[in-house]
Amino acid sequence: MANGGTQSRKYRLQGAGLDLALPYLMLAPGLLIVLGVLVYPLWDGLRASTKVYRYGSVVADVGMQNYIKLWSDPQFLNSLWVTVEFVALSVTFEAILGFALALFCLREFRGIRLLRTILIIPMVITPVVVAIVFRLIYASDAGMLTAISEWMGGGQVQILGSPVKAFIGLVVLDVWEWTPLMFLILLAGLQSLPHEPFEAARVDGAGNWRVFADLTFPMMRPVLAIAIVLRTIDAFGTFDQVFVLTRGGPGEATRLVSIYGYDTAFKFQQTGYAAALFVTIGLVVLALAFSAVRLLRRVDAS
Amino acid sequence: MTHSSRSRLTRRSVLKGGLGLALATTALTALGLPVPARAAGKKVIIGAFADGGLTPFKQKIIPLAKDAGFDIEFLEDEYGVTLEKWFADAKNSAGQYDLYLLDDPWVPQFGAANVLEDLGAAGIDGGDKDWIGSMIDMGYWPPQKGARVKGFETATPTLICVPFVGDLQTLTYRNDVYTSGAPKTWDEVIAKGKEGVAAGKIKYPVVFRGVSGNPIVTSWYPVFLSFGGSFFDDKWNPVFNSAEGKASAEFFVGAMKQNAPSGVVEFDSDQEGAAILGGEAGAIIQYSGNALKADDPAQTKVAGKLDFGVVPKQTSAIAQMGIFIAGIPKSAPNKANSVEFLKWYVSADIQAKLSEAGSIPVKRSAFGIAKPGNRLIPVALQQLDAGALPRPRTPDWAKVEELLGIELNKALQAGSGGGAALDNAAKQVKDYLSSVGYY
Repeated sequence: MANGGTQSRKYRLQGAGLDLALPYLMLAPGLLIVLGVLVYPLWDGLRASTKVYRYGSVVADVGMQNYIKLWSDPQFLNSLWVTVEFVALSVTFEAILGFALALFCLREFRGIRLLRTILIIPMVITPVVVAIVFRLIYASDAGMLTAISEWMGGGQVQILGSPVKAFIGLVVLDVWEWTPLMFLILLAGLQSLPHEPFEAARVDGAGNWRVFADLTFPMMRPVLAIAIVLRTIDAFGTFDQVFVLTRGGPGEATRLVSIYGYDTAFKFQQTGYAAALFVTIGLVVLALAFSAVRLLRRVDAS
Repeated sequence: MTHSSRSRLTRRSVLKGGLGLALATTALTALGLPVPARAAGKKVIIGAFADGGLTPFKQKIIPLAKDAGFDIEFLEDEYGVTLEKWFADAKNSAGQYDLYLLDDPWVPQFGAANVLEDLGAAGIDGGDKDWIGSMIDMGYWPPQKGARVKGFETATPTLICVPFVGDLQTLTYRNDVYTSGAPKTWDEVIAKGKEGVAAGKIKYPVVFRGVSGNPIVTSWYPVFLSFGGSFFDDKWNPVFNSAEGKASAEFFVGAMKQNAPSGVVEFDSDQEGAAILGGEAGAIIQYSGNALKADDPAQTKVAGKLDFGVVPKQTSAIAQMGIFIAGIPKSAPNKANSVEFLKWYVSADIQAKLSEAGSIPVKRSAFGIAKPGNRLIPVALQQLDAGALPRPRTPDWAKVEELLGIELNKALQAGSGGGAALDNAAKQVKDYLSSVGYY
């Protein structure tokens, strides 16, 4: 009996220990994965950004030199400027169009559910496929726009061979693909607004514009800010569409910083310099996100 | 009771079981226990970039290799991603491939990184007189001839790659437009091409690739060589912006653009191929990928109207050579099989079969067979004898090509300023090479 009692107490103690350890054991696989795929690569990238690589191997430790060199590299500065222009234009159009579509789809009428579903389709198509389709639309020799133009008696439509048109073509692609994301976020925001202020405004005789300017827009500002921040961060990383559609050309007209970084890292094998470039871009995006959040807080406070 | 206590699932039993399973799996993986073999034969995993120049190899030689006891796994990728993918594979010893079919300008990058096997030591004879000399030369790192980059000045040249499928630029032209045979000069290409346009036979005298980077540089290169340009001096100073180089660039972005499709700035190989095979263009300088389709009515609207010739000249008729070249990564999982496969593949018999199948061989004897599988093959030999040069043997060629390609593409957009574009590019190339320690 005594022996049996000791055994049972021993197991109970082990059971209690296990109860304490179990949450950590359960967390461990996830934590290890996060460390392995997020923290370690980030740390390794930071470390690589302070080194010079030749032929795939480290040849020198240069501290912050790679970061300093970036700001005198005309190709980096050009790609950064192109990226800023691309993000600013795309996100602005996406926000305006997304908001307009969300306001339109807020109404309930026959077929609205189907329309909402159709509107989000571009967002769920793989970016590479979207780029291939747009390439088939834009190609001057056999593209859809050229076919339409020739059918109407016009000539070839040159988009990808002209720096300005190729850039606009890229923005159009992005707007087509990602306006649905804005639409979805803003529609959810609009649907969550309280009804009372709107009903009161209507009773007071406010027209559509007044309601929008004095109620809808101010109340939607936090949601809009979040949608813009999310999309801005995402747009900074745009890669697939450019890689397939223009490869950064003609010239350097559509060479976003992601494409330049990719080429630098993998084609030219300047791993350290490319790491510094991506860390810098990461910091820029982080700074943008922080400013947006601060702006949001200020809006909330006011 | 006994039954009940046995079947109860406790946290302890789940954790014990899970841990045991994980440990067992890890141990088995670490021990590298063999997976039951699926196919008989000596396995060789070949990595290649998608290109029409490899079609005869895929269609005719792979079945022969299977008959010879090789189990070939042929993995193809788009050209634009293979270099980085294979370099990462080799550098990280990932062991995903047994053989890379590289584009020859990549040999210096792999050579400088020391990630490919010494094929000479593995028993492949680089000194065999049957090799096309200019092709086997490309397999050595550092190069046996010409300038060497810093750090490799005194190293012994090692055979790290062997030519796999020969390829070089030749002229493809419409025989109903250039009725007295291949045009000999660039002026003739343009003048007779214009007559062909006036007669309604074609829409444009010439077509080429205008996309910045590798495509435009590849299209400009034979024009540059035919004008008598050279790229670097023996100290790696860029000299492509010499008077001859500038004249070639002005001609390329001026006269050639004016006589090419209006959208040529955005043209890559698919568009230029469509223009010549679709019957719209009169002449093109191209590699064998599209040229091999010239007699196939399923792939061209002008079968029988396309002939081949040596590239036109201004001062000389020199083409760019760009071959498929095979290297075995040090991390190859089936290294011995790969070496054996390469020895089998480069034998005179199999090279003759490759020639019969319609590909440009890499051994001279295979050019002389009774019935080469394509009319292009004897013309390729003529071009090799007339002159064909590889791109400069530097591990930084990709960057050089990028810098030059952007400037040439800008000049092509403008339709002028080819000389100034070369000056800009030369400065950028010099700055870049200085920054990576060339001088």
